[in-house]
Amino acid sequence: MENTLNPPQKPRPDWLLLAALGGLMIFGLTFVLSATQVNELFSGAPWYRQPFFKMIIFYAFGITAAGLLCLKDYYQIARYAFVGYWICIVMLVIVLIPGIGAVRYGARRWFDLGIMQFQPSELAKIAFLLALAQFLSRPRDELRQPDTLLKGIGLTLLPFGLILMEPDLGSSLMLLPAAFAMFYVAGVPAGFLKKVAGGMTCFIAACLIYVFFVPQAWKPVQLPDYQKRRLMVYFGIDYTTQYAKPNATPTELRRVKAMQRRDSYNVAQAMISVGSGGLTGKGWAQGIQNAHGYLPRGVSHNDFIFSVIAEESGFIGSAMVVVLYTGVFLCGIRVAGQARDRLGRLLAVGVVVMLFSHVFVNIGMNIRLVPVTGVPLPLLSYGGTSIVCSLLALGLLQNIQLHQRSI
Amino acid sequence: MPPTDMVVFDQIRRKDYRLGSVAVFLLVAMGVLMAGLWYVQIFSSSQYIESQRNQSMRTVRIPSVRGKIFDQHGRILAEDKPAYNLSAYLEELRPHFRKAWRENRPKRKLNAEESLQLQIQTRYQVVSNFISRARLNLPLGVNAGEIQQHFSELRALPLPVLKNLDPANVARFMELSDRIPGFDIQAWPTRHYPEISVAHLVGHLKKDNTSEEESTAYNYRLPDFRGMIGLEQTFDDKLRGQPGTRSMLVNHLGYRQSENLEVPTQPGSHVHLTLDLEIQKVAYDAMKASGHKAGAAVVMDVNNGDLIALTSMPVFDPNDFIPAINPQKWAQYRDARPSPLLFRATQERYPPGSIFKIISGLAALESGVVNTNNFMYNPGHYRLGRRNIDDTAPAGDYNFKKAFKYSSNTYFIHHGLSCGIEQIVQMGNQFFLGQRTGLLPRQEVAGQFPTLGEVRNGWRDGDTANIAIGQGRITVTPLQMGIMTAAVANGGRVFWPRLVARVEPADPDAFTDAMTFPQGRIRGQLRVTPRNLVAVQHAMWADVHEEGGTGKRAMIDDYAVCGKTGTAEIRGGGRRDKITWFSSYAPYKQPRYAVVIMIESGVSGGKTCAPIAKKIFEALRDRDRRSPRTPLANN
Repeated sequence: MENTLNPPQKPRPDWLLLAALGGLMIFGLTFVLSATQVNELFSGAPWYRQPFFKMIIFYAFGITAAGLLCLKDYYQIARYAFVGYWICIVMLVIVLIPGIGAVRYGARRWFDLGIMQFQPSELAKIAFLLALAQFLSRPRDELRQPDTLLKGIGLTLLPFGLILMEPDLGSSLMLLPAAFAMFYVAGVPAGFLKKVAGGMTCFIAACLIYVFFVPQAWKPVQLPDYQKRRLMVYFGIDYTTQYAKPNATPTELRRVKAMQRRDSYNVAQAMISVGSGGLTGKGWAQGIQNAHGYLPRGVSHNDFIFSVIAEESGFIGSAMVVVLYTGVFLCGIRVAGQARDRLGRLLAVGVVVMLFSHVFVNIGMNIRLVPVTGVPLPLLSYGGTSIVCSLLALGLLQNIQLHQRSI
Repeated sequence: MPPTDMVVFDQIRRKDYRLGSVAVFLLVAMGVLMAGLWYVQIFSSSQYIESQRNQSMRTVRIPSVRGKIFDQHGRILAEDKPAYNLSAYLEELRPHFRKAWRENRPKRKLNAEESLQLQIQTRYQVVSNFISRARLNLPLGVNAGEIQQHFSELRALPLPVLKNLDPANVARFMELSDRIPGFDIQAWPTRHYPEISVAHLVGHLKKDNTSEEESTAYNYRLPDFRGMIGLEQTFDDKLRGQPGTRSMLVNHLGYRQSENLEVPTQPGSHVHLTLDLEIQKVAYDAMKASGHKAGAAVVMDVNNGDLIALTSMPVFDPNDFIPAINPQKWAQYRDARPSPLLFRATQERYPPGSIFKIISGLAALESGVVNTNNFMYNPGHYRLGRRNIDDTAPAGDYNFKKAFKYSSNTYFIHHGLSCGIEQIVQMGNQFFLGQRTGLLPRQEVAGQFPTLGEVRNGWRDGDTANIAIGQGRITVTPLQMGIMTAAVANGGRVFWPRLVARVEPADPDAFTDAMTFPQGRIRGQLRVTPRNLVAVQHAMWADVHEEGGTGKRAMIDDYAVCGKTGTAEIRGGGRRDKITWFSSYAPYKQPRYAVVIMIESGVSGGKTCAPIAKKIFEALRDRDRRSPRTPLANN
């Protein structure tokens, strides 16, 4: 269909996508500033150590890296996908070794690089997307063969398992929807996908039954207690049914109740933040929840940044964030639709669904739609690795857009 | 360009259904998020705003400034004065607490109890260090435990560390206040009673932290007071005004962040009395100077029933109840005899003794069994059956006036029995004996007076003989005697006593109107022949002015005092005691004031009470010469 008489159109970046990202970054900077300026931990620090400034650096670094990523055709980048994948797998193994991986909040997830902390699972997500896209971009007929499909599943479960062992349930779960969507779009037979989906549903149901209904003594493997408690908070289960013996003394009951209050505190305060924002919000830096410490200072500028946005800018602001993300995702789907080959198409879908999962889980936990998991809100949460990796993934998306016509 | 339809329909157009359905799925999921946000932020927003308010707002009830109580000339009997407290603002001291805590904390790990104790000590140390910088030379008004209690319960409120600073210390602190962060002077309204002779009728306050009648639930209440007795109690709702509300924003640790006055207080109304503090003081001082321990004085305007003085001895000091009476002092007041808590002018029953002869005499004259000119022989005692009643009056011939001024028991018993008890009871009823006046509801007794029903059933002559001379089954309050004397003086009008002239809002522009109590409300009109009343008035004049009168110690050269003395004997508990009375009015021709004096355990009405009445009449006379009209006369 191409008109060879006309010169091929010069590839253009997706301006709509860039505008939406710009809007999100402005949101991020504005409200991280609001969330941290009242924080005593930061208010005394020099300007170059303020989260606001560091966030600008992260953005600049991420945009530069993403720009560099666009110089090379994604096709050439994908050649190294498995090299990157295995490097990441090795890093995920190393980070588990005590003494090398740094422990924070009871989980071994970080490499301490002195000036900054690096979370290999974030980078692994991108490497995984590239590798799976590369793997699934083979001719459709091969995808009908069970051993190919099993290899694809193995490719997914390896990083999933390693991240789960850190333990970081939230991050590891982020891989699954992306993988599923990529399998689906790649054209894997529907019957096979149904089996996978059914298997996953059964697995989750079995897990929940295992956690809540199997007596403690019978369990060979324990889910980390905090995960269980988060699930109980999410489902609104009274702690006394699980943690107190039937003949518990009032003191014990009080202790268990206090534990429940403590555990559900973040969610309860996040809900109050979001809900009390109302339609128009309380105005920038006027959020009571954040300013007066009800929303814990440690999380208000990263995992719970959305609460601050929702409280201070109201439904108008939070709807705007949702609309901007939706714009990003739809642009990504369009990139996938216009990609010149299956690799680009699968990679774009993977990036979009991965980002979507983060957004959905993070915003969802603020309104108790999903349980609390430590998943950052891409581009808005303060956190170097998350911001840079999100921008890298979006850089891949731009790359597919830019190189959709050249061979 | 809207990407939505383009993306979804593009894929469908290209028969790329799988990518299209991923797009649809994303749209639906984002739509769910949007709906969830709408549900939380719009639909159930009010519920979250409410929970946020509950956890971050604290309301404080601020008592209003209590209204003043004035005498008829505007002299202050009770007022709120500012007291100065030095208070610590905990939210400003918090960084200092933390700094000191870091310095104090030992290297080793502390258990929870040790840690708490060290924190308490640290806070105390920080507060006392700052206070010592002010160089006020005062010991800290709080101890570590009290600081801790305030810290755990009232963290958002300032902590008073030094109470009732004198002006010199206030000034000293203000000079240095720049150097002492986190502390400031707070002014509190504090009740003050400059004059204790009015203690019983003004009453006293008690700390009140209840909120029965208030619908607003407050998180904190600043100390407020409630009137317990006296006018403070009777007019409590007027004096109190309306409390205000301050709301404070607190952080998650409960420290105050900002505050806002939501409802300003409305100061209480002022109560203006008919009382004249000057006369009240004269009456009280004169009673005290008599050397006796217990008594009461009533001074009433005979032409309108206004009370000019109403005092009782001994008194308590209402200032002792502010901010709270200490237990020793309370025990002292409670156990002291004679009790200083009893308002003898209205709150105790006394036998009237001979001053009741004013009533029994009137009854006899009205019944016609005697007229003023008839003489009868008095042998110096009265024989009733086997009982012999002594008469302090010497033997001889007596007419009404002579019997009255010598206070002859024989004469009044004889004529009392002649006219009959029913006549006496009917006469007493005209003066409303045995009935309350409603002046001070919690401090008034009705007294005892037989009813017609009682005297018609099993009544003996001996009882009548007793009643005729004011003994036996009759008790009265000094106030009742004051009303009676005024009625005799003014020609037969029995007034409702008036103590409160008006209640005025503190703010003259306020919507609430002043409350005025009408002057001269007549309770009843005596049904007596004017001639007989004049005879009693003349007899009262004679009692003071003529040779042999028992009340001659009340005589003033240029002021015609009329009176009747009384000395009632009480027997009880194997002990004899006397209640002495002087019931009087003046001037004789144009009566203005009734003065009734009652002294417990006095020598006799003439010796003990008449001199006191004299001092009061002199003061009244001097007052009227200075300003012939009392300011309230034109109300």
